[in-house]
Amino acid sequence: MVRISSTFVIIGTRWRFHCLTKTTGSLTRCRRLIIRDDPQLASKYIADYIIERIKAFNPTSEKPFVLGLPTGSSPVLVYQNLVQRHKAGEISFRDVVTFNMDEYVGIPREHPESYHSFMYKHFFSHVDVKPANINILNGNAPDLELECHEYEEKIKAVGGIELFLGGIGPDGHIAFNEPGSSLKSRTRVKTLAYDTIIANSRFFGNDLAQVPRMALTVGVQTVLDAREVVIIITGAHKALALQKCIESGVNHMWTLSSLQLHPHPMIVVDEDATLELQVKTVKYFKSIEMVATNNGFRQKLPRKRDSLVEEQSPLAPGPQTNGLSLAVPQQDVSRSASPILEAMSTRISSGATKVPDNLESIGEPHLQPMSARVASF
Amino acid sequence: MRRTQSSVTKFTNCLLIRGNELVEEDLWISSVSGKILNGQEILYGERVAPDRIVDLGGRILSPGLIDVQLNGAYGFDFSVIPEDGAVGYSKGVHRVNRQLIATGVTSYLPTLTSQPPEVYQQALPFLGPSGTHRNPTYGSESLGAHCEGPFLNPSKNGIHNTTVLQTASHGLPDLTACYGHSNLASMTKVTLAPELPGGLEAVKALTGLGIIVSVGHSEASYEEAREAVKAGAKMITHLFNAMEQLHHRNPGIFGLLGATSSSLASKPYFGIIADGIHLHPTSIKIAWNAHPEGLILVTDAMALAGMPDGTYDWTNGSRIIKSGSQLTLEENGRIAGSAAQLVDCLSNFLNWTHASVPEALKAVTETPAKMLGLEGVKGSLNEGADADLVVLDLQETGVGEEKKFIVEQVWKFGSKVFDREIEMAGDEN
Repeated sequence: MVRISSTFVIIGTRWRFHCLTKTTGSLTRCRRLIIRDDPQLASKYIADYIIERIKAFNPTSEKPFVLGLPTGSSPVLVYQNLVQRHKAGEISFRDVVTFNMDEYVGIPREHPESYHSFMYKHFFSHVDVKPANINILNGNAPDLELECHEYEEKIKAVGGIELFLGGIGPDGHIAFNEPGSSLKSRTRVKTLAYDTIIANSRFFGNDLAQVPRMALTVGVQTVLDAREVVIIITGAHKALALQKCIESGVNHMWTLSSLQLHPHPMIVVDEDATLELQVKTVKYFKSIEMVATNNGFRQKLPRKRDSLVEEQSPLAPGPQTNGLSLAVPQQDVSRSASPILEAMSTRISSGATKVPDNLESIGEPHLQPMSARVASF
Repeated sequence: MRRTQSSVTKFTNCLLIRGNELVEEDLWISSVSGKILNGQEILYGERVAPDRIVDLGGRILSPGLIDVQLNGAYGFDFSVIPEDGAVGYSKGVHRVNRQLIATGVTSYLPTLTSQPPEVYQQALPFLGPSGTHRNPTYGSESLGAHCEGPFLNPSKNGIHNTTVLQTASHGLPDLTACYGHSNLASMTKVTLAPELPGGLEAVKALTGLGIIVSVGHSEASYEEAREAVKAGAKMITHLFNAMEQLHHRNPGIFGLLGATSSSLASKPYFGIIADGIHLHPTSIKIAWNAHPEGLILVTDAMALAGMPDGTYDWTNGSRIIKSGSQLTLEENGRIAGSAAQLVDCLSNFLNWTHASVPEALKAVTETPAKMLGLEGVKGSLNEGADADLVVLDLQETGVGEEKKFIVEQVWKFGSKVFDREIEMAGDEN
């Protein structure tokens, strides 16, 4: 396993990126901030990304893709995109196991504002996720603590969450981990902040008495445990939160900032959400994406992430998990999330003009990371 | 509850009637309970995925249509006891039920015109609500008989034979003597003229028995009609037809549509025959504007619906001339019911009033169900309602902006009983 912690450092309030180094096997093991013009394009980017990840994972009923899911206004468009692609027959969620982030305590499951209702309305009623594979915290469980404990156990039992999709609140909270939540928190009962109750009252006929006072939520650490975390942030009202989470240090008053400690996060935003960022921050991330794109390298999860795919793959020998050794020229990379990461060696040995089919099908230029070519020397 | 295979069906890619809107939403039904399910509860509570997903290609999914005034069809007349008596009558009713369902009418009130007592007493046992049977293969379902007469005003008899008309001057005993005491359970609705001797008592007696009273074939004044409604009458039978016409100084029965809440607690429902013959489109529009929540489209269709043109024997020695969709009584040229289908009346209503699709569909689903006290059971897409459904395609006719509803599929108690595509493929073979 190639660890990349040495390749990025948080200096002051900036994230640094040293992706193209001699020692990493991965070009993409870096923080990604993807900026799109509007919420529609940002949502489409995420939906495309999730679909690509599920397909590359090639889930089966024995080895399902475990997806963490949020509710809220920003994710609605992501769900719309996913549903559309599903209806067009481009993606099946048959072997996807889902875990939702949170749910109110004490409102009926059928309540229009419950997160069960939200998920049914926007996603589950339209796609083929098996009902048995859907996990949402039960806010009416007789023993709420036990419910939370069992939720964590369930996540463990399926091998952890592969990709956690999330949104944030204007105060930078992720799930119901409001400002001040422990960054090591796990799934638990959470009392809602007064601000949140006031903000939510608009969904309950502006009657404060109707607004739930408590919620069950995954913890910050539960999210960070996912192999990959993808966050959507859209709108000017969330610009400050984005700024605090990216340009400031890790701080429990902006719980999303904990993402700085995650090895593989991606934040997708619209232009409005960048309003509070420094110009050079925005330019920096845009340039990263542009350079990567020009090199035919979309910012994807590297093949050698600590994912179930790799762990269970008989084709990934321990010390050579970077798959770059010239000694293994015909390594099968078809299940890779990033087919372009295929070793140069495979192409050399099979002739310069012969391009593997899986590369053709993705339709991306065949660029190898610099490291792939230098690693074996 | 254990479910057998393919018991849960989910409709997707369809437009549902929700209030006054058409919304893109899925609908879940069960063929075991024959009812509409709460998809969310099935998914989260029972952890069951639908056994079958039906893609409706963006078409409208509506509750099945309800016709509260159908005299007969396909050559069978509910008011005529055939020569082989009960056996033939029972067969005839079943035949109508099975054929009628293909028109999108999933439940209806089989309607008897004015007849001598012996006809009621032979016919009514076969016309009661089918209740607990809930068998989709039986076709359209009777919600109970509608007795249009014989306590009608002879001056507004329409095509009803005046010799069989009666008055209920003694109230309930006269009613039971006519219909038969044991048959009251089969009856859901009675049309009568409240201004006749004993009329108001009859309204009260029937209402007390849970039978809906509709005012019709009547020359009641506005005031008399209002008293009938206060006494319990809930509906007006084929508004405008067989009653005093609106006069500005004497608004008659029609005037009830303009009643204020202080003079009348709730305005009555009213039947409208939108076949293009009985009423001028503008009259329908006026009535709808006056009381949109009360409008119920009915066909008043006759046994001759769907039969070739010609002169046919009718009850009590009369004869009816059928010319196209027009039916007239031979002896006096009066309109003798219609030969229209309810779905065509629905298209007419949509085109003539410029009602929205949900508003138009209400007049054949939710509104009649409310009138019958079956709100949430029939004419509804809410959880727990019977899964009687019709899939409609709204097509341009090419004539101006006119549109036409086409019945594509019909589902009864959660099972598909008609599919136009399959029928058409069958015709070609």
